[in-house]
Amino acid sequence: MLIEQLINGITLGSIYAIVALGFTLVFGVLGIINMAHGEIFMFGAFIGVVVTSTFKGPLWLAFLAAILVTAAMGYMLERFALRPLRNKQGVSHLAPLISTIGVSILLENLSHHIFGPGNHPFRASFAEISFQIGSITVYLVQIVIFVISVLLMYALSFWLGKTKAGKALRATAENLETASLLGVDVKRTITMTVIIASAMGGIAGILVGMAFNSVTPQMGLSIGLKGLAIIILGGMGNVKGAMAGGLILGLAETFVVVYGDSGYKDAIAFVAIIVILLIRPQGLFGQKISA
Amino acid sequence: MLAELINPYYLQVASFILINIILGVSIYITLSTGQLSLANAGFMGIGAYTSALLTLNFDLPIIVGIFAGTLLAGLFGILIGIPTLRLQGVYLAIVTLGFGEVIRVIFVNWESMTKGAVGLSGIPHMGREILNTLRGFGFDPKILGLQNNQFVFLAIFLILLVATISIITFFRRQNRSRVGRAFAAIKLDEKAAESMGINITYYKVLAFAQGALVAGFAGTLFAHVLAYISPADFAYHRAVEILIFAVFGGSEVIWGPVFGALFLTAMPEVLRFISEYRYMIYGLIIIIMMAVRPQGLIDVNILNWVKLKTSRRGQKHGTSSQKSM
Repeated sequence: MLIEQLINGITLGSIYAIVALGFTLVFGVLGIINMAHGEIFMFGAFIGVVVTSTFKGPLWLAFLAAILVTAAMGYMLERFALRPLRNKQGVSHLAPLISTIGVSILLENLSHHIFGPGNHPFRASFAEISFQIGSITVYLVQIVIFVISVLLMYALSFWLGKTKAGKALRATAENLETASLLGVDVKRTITMTVIIASAMGGIAGILVGMAFNSVTPQMGLSIGLKGLAIIILGGMGNVKGAMAGGLILGLAETFVVVYGDSGYKDAIAFVAIIVILLIRPQGLFGQKISA
Repeated sequence: MLAELINPYYLQVASFILINIILGVSIYITLSTGQLSLANAGFMGIGAYTSALLTLNFDLPIIVGIFAGTLLAGLFGILIGIPTLRLQGVYLAIVTLGFGEVIRVIFVNWESMTKGAVGLSGIPHMGREILNTLRGFGFDPKILGLQNNQFVFLAIFLILLVATISIITFFRRQNRSRVGRAFAAIKLDEKAAESMGINITYYKVLAFAQGALVAGFAGTLFAHVLAYISPADFAYHRAVEILIFAVFGGSEVIWGPVFGALFLTAMPEVLRFISEYRYMIYGLIIIIMMAVRPQGLIDVNILNWVKLKTSRRGQKHGTSSQKSM
């Protein structure tokens, strides 16, 4: 029982971590909280539903389609909602936040109109397959989700740490102007970051669809807000913090459902951020910034 | 004559416009110190639920409920404000958004008290209570030549109008006072304001609490005008809706959010086909406004231009040239 819940928690947590990584990449490079990330993630999930249920396509095609669509949405987000605000004189630092709130509300209602408001089931062909290890039941879906998440996190860490583009991204995150002086194509790096973050959101969307077997237009908001909570928990712009924060929140939510009141599950994330911001504003894994 | 002019439907729409104007003012107050608070929907919920529960469960008069709800929301504003105002910019926005969500989750889950997601219905209706009270004194709307429901909605509208005008007047006067100048100084540069001897924590908490108070007041009115509330009324969408009043209308002057609330509430009513796409249009408006005119439609320049126009016209006609100064 305990181990099964642990596995549930880790599955949920690894999805949260992927969502949070999308937030943290954009925040690290641009210093912007992308409120539309949750909605892009939700669109990824819907693309998955359309491909697997409506067109009866295979799962890998769903992933591919979701990545393409969300990457395109990421580009549009950067092009139309973020770029016009950059390098503009006299724009409040809140403007990008408000602008992405606009995108989020637009996308949520767009999906209402395109896909309908109800609950869409997500049928993975292997949803019912499970293994029995001793007294523990493990579903194949959980393993698939976990493996994909770990692969994704590993690929991202490798890309950020070892490749030239990743180095450029980290340089831009450190200091935009200096990076640009040193010959980094900052504009391209920023666009690429938003696109990659959005594509990760799309992948996470399909994973969530598989895990919960349901996709709704509202899920973008609730998961998006949790992603926000996680990056605050782990430290803003901190990649490892986002992964750890995701796991912590996933486990915490699972255990509240088991041992506490399931209704308050969704409040944990926000209580956590309020407490974290008051006690340790730099996040659990963040560096203290000297004022 | 009067009876034909008064259409309960228009009065109802006008009442919602006035409530939204009050909400717009509530976000304007915190924005006037340069802080973005997305908790006002939550404060509105606290006000609405407090007043509704007091009047439903304890048969208290509506006016007591309104006072209690408003004060409790303001109290929460102080309680939340003191710790969170150490945070700045986006962090504050997220925490206040989180606070709003926590409030909503509590409303949904505290079923013994709030009836959960179903919401509270049968809340005493402000207009009808007034009518009943006046009936007790032997008053009949027919004296004014009005139907009962015409009188009910007219009474609500007039009360809201008085409340809205008083609130706007109060904050316009406050803007020209020591407090208003402190707010403006903090908005321009917090550190400079502090070095000038302004107690920034005090003024920021004051602005935050005032915003909460006004939002809570709007919430109590909302409850007693609609007679039905549910947690969904005070969720993220409401927070965004309040925000867009200020984003669209402008947050530099108090007339900005007032205009934003007026225009954006009336628009879906006038253009019926729009109301289905309302939130999509809201989203587009936010994106376009941020890119093109981040200070909102109405700013200080526009106000000065309007003043100039009206004063010129006054001079041309040879009247009121002194008044317009």
